[in-house]
Amino acid sequence: MSGGPPKGLPSTGPHSLLDMPHPLAGSSSEEAVGGDSTPSPDLLMARSFGDKDLILPNGGTPAGTSSPASSSSLLNRLQLDDDIDGETRDLFVTVDDPKKHVCTMETYITYRITTKSTRVEFDLPEYSVRRRYQDFDWLRNKLEESQPTHLIPPLPEKFVVKGVVDRFSEEFVETRRKALDKFLKRITDHPVLSFNEHFNVFLTAKDLNAYKRQGMALLSRVGESVKHVTGGYKLRSRPLEFAAIGDYLDTFALKLGTIDRIAQRIIKEEIEYLVELREYGPVYSTWSALEGELAEPLEGVSACIGNCSTALEELTDDMTEDFLPVLREYILYSDSMKSVLKKRDQVQAEYEAKLEAVALRKEDRPKVPADVEKCQDRMECFNADLKADMERWQSNKRQDFRQLLMGMADKNIQYYEKCLMAWESIIPLLQEKPEANA
Amino acid sequence: MEQAPPDLERQWQPAPLEPLGHTDAGLQAAVGEEAEGSRDEVPGDGTEHALGLGVLMTENNFGLKKIEISVSEAEKRTGRNAMNMQETYTAYLIETRSVEHTDGQSVLTDSLWRRYSEFELLRNYLLVYYPHIVVPPLPEKRAEFVWHKLSADNMDPDFVERRRIGLENFLLRVASHPILCRDKIFYLFLTQEGNWKETVNETGFQLKADSRLKALNATFRVKNPDKRFTELKHYSDELQSVISHLLRVRARVADRLYGVYKVHGNYGRVFSEWSAIEKEMGDGLQSAGHHMDVYASSIDDILEDEEHYADQLKEYLFYAEALRAVCRKHELMQYDLEMAAQDLASKKQQCEELATGTVRTFSLKGMTTKLFGQETPEQREARIKVLEEQINEGEQQLKSKNLEGREFVKNAWADIERFKEQKNHDLKEALISYAVMQISMCKKGIQVWTNAKECFSKM
Repeated sequence: MSGGPPKGLPSTGPHSLLDMPHPLAGSSSEEAVGGDSTPSPDLLMARSFGDKDLILPNGGTPAGTSSPASSSSLLNRLQLDDDIDGETRDLFVTVDDPKKHVCTMETYITYRITTKSTRVEFDLPEYSVRRRYQDFDWLRNKLEESQPTHLIPPLPEKFVVKGVVDRFSEEFVETRRKALDKFLKRITDHPVLSFNEHFNVFLTAKDLNAYKRQGMALLSRVGESVKHVTGGYKLRSRPLEFAAIGDYLDTFALKLGTIDRIAQRIIKEEIEYLVELREYGPVYSTWSALEGELAEPLEGVSACIGNCSTALEELTDDMTEDFLPVLREYILYSDSMKSVLKKRDQVQAEYEAKLEAVALRKEDRPKVPADVEKCQDRMECFNADLKADMERWQSNKRQDFRQLLMGMADKNIQYYEKCLMAWESIIPLLQEKPEANA
Repeated sequence: MEQAPPDLERQWQPAPLEPLGHTDAGLQAAVGEEAEGSRDEVPGDGTEHALGLGVLMTENNFGLKKIEISVSEAEKRTGRNAMNMQETYTAYLIETRSVEHTDGQSVLTDSLWRRYSEFELLRNYLLVYYPHIVVPPLPEKRAEFVWHKLSADNMDPDFVERRRIGLENFLLRVASHPILCRDKIFYLFLTQEGNWKETVNETGFQLKADSRLKALNATFRVKNPDKRFTELKHYSDELQSVISHLLRVRARVADRLYGVYKVHGNYGRVFSEWSAIEKEMGDGLQSAGHHMDVYASSIDDILEDEEHYADQLKEYLFYAEALRAVCRKHELMQYDLEMAAQDLASKKQQCEELATGTVRTFSLKGMTTKLFGQETPEQREARIKVLEEQINEGEQQLKSKNLEGREFVKNAWADIERFKEQKNHDLKEALISYAVMQISMCKKGIQVWTNAKECFSKM
């Protein structure tokens, strides 16, 4: 099995699902996954390529040893050297290789998280761990708690909305994998969030559950203090710039919702169109069987319509898998952003209330008490963080949507090009003169 | 040939002296309209190709004159029908032009208005007098195979327009048929406005029509029809079934495609609204939205073009019925022949029995003879004489029926071969034009989405 040629990223791997031990059970499990004792030529190749990186101190789980898909680690290596943005990137995270696990209690999917980094916060230059959705959810909650002044990217929906979707189907798993990958990459790109300790643990720990049980072992001070703000204060008025952001997010979410509905409707109509096409094409075949001279032309038209049907199916699949999820993600994003805005309001309200209380005391001492100063600090930090994040978000949003919509246009262009090719190729067949009299 | 119908020359055209050639009438043949695909070879004059030409025998001289026919207008009229009740109907203007050989100029020679029922009358007449010809069909009386946007209303202007084209096509098919074009009633249809209906009815064609019941009976009981006709009948049944199915599904496909395109129009509006809250993204979104609107509205023309394709298929759907009519006539004639032969054989047998005095088969006559005594020799002589006369007559009839039957088969099959070639040619052209339509639709789609993509790239 592991002696086979590298196949890119296999989604289920050559290992039988039942054979696999629990991936979170401990380091020995990772090596055990390798199967036979003779390392494959691929693994050897991986070792020799970057030998110096793979010296293993105790307890590390280097990437590339446990999986036969070492071409992916080669790719990652290349990415490390690739300076596309001109920024010096020092952290790369990838989500891939979904695997189904069947246990007595439940069945679930884990994803492999591969991390490469030169940052000092990481003991090793590379890590490879397995995580399930629960773990991502935990991470996100931790980030929200510990970095409440920042916009945390959204996760794909926890539960499947349309109950008929199979949560173990290839399409669903792949869609989710992409979203989880996006989630981690957004955190990776964030100058503050990427240094968060929970994030670090998520990427590196062999036993995440143990860490979870320990509770909040490492907390950032800001997070802790902000956490204690109760929601008892009412904000009189949001400052203009944040009100504008709030309004923007409201309208934005609304418009995205409309676009989501339109896109769904289009897919629905296209599927119904496809159903009719699948009946339409074969009728030409039936007719062809009755005819002499016309048999070939009619059969040709039938085949042509069949090709167009296939192209249409590819279009609808692509739109469902690639387009809709990203829209939904951004709707979730703007929802979570609005709640951060509200938290900011809280902080400002607390500050203003405390300030007012001091003013009402009408003391001659112009000195502002320490806790009011702290509140002011908190508020100003929050405002600054939020503004910075908003800017970053806006620029990412612009890029994401440009890519998304260009992708949509591309898929439609490809669909029409496939159909065009089919019809153009049949014209000479239709124009053919019969050799003998029919 | 005493029992032959009165106007023999009208009914039994001998095979045309000129080669049949290609006589196809393209769909677009109105005067002044371009029609690349339609070629009409005038029988006997192979060098001339022109738009929508037919050949007619003029009333005065039996020379061949080239004419152009067009159904150029349709008009709503109100009038009183046979029961003196007011009704609304559509009248169609038929213009006939004769083309001068020398300079190709056409001169309007006749112009009159006819309604659909008159076309039907003409066709029914042709069906009776040319049973060996695959008579071109009329466009449908009522709109069928409609998809939701198309109206099923007979007064709907789009339907009327398509019907106008269909009627013109019918006239051109008749005018370009080597045999039908010479028919006097057809000529009068084009030239004699008043009194034409009376003239047709005076031919008494309705009386000559075979009763449906007789035809049905013959179809079931005929023992030895020409195998080719039996096969042809099966073919026309299956053709009718498959084209019906095709038209039904195509209508549904059109419906769905319409939906897909139109929903995209909603993007136009929402992109516009969204662009209002965006700074840098706004322009790109707005202009992309415009392209989505263009995309959505492009489907109307696309589907209108496709209706022409559907009409071409419909013509051959109705042609299947015309094919069946020819087969039915053959079966009727064959059955008639078989009955006549059977009758003759039985008479001959009777005669023989009387002459030899032997009763070979059990018969009522034999029984009564036994019961009531034999008849006198004189009586017997008289009966034999009558029978011999009948047998003589019968033999002559049988001979002529046989000849008629063979003539029919020969002529009918010649026209069927002509029809087959026409059908193959026309349907191939139809498929090509359908493919061209699809190609054009794909190219438009690529254009619009490429434009939209460019707008998105500027976001």
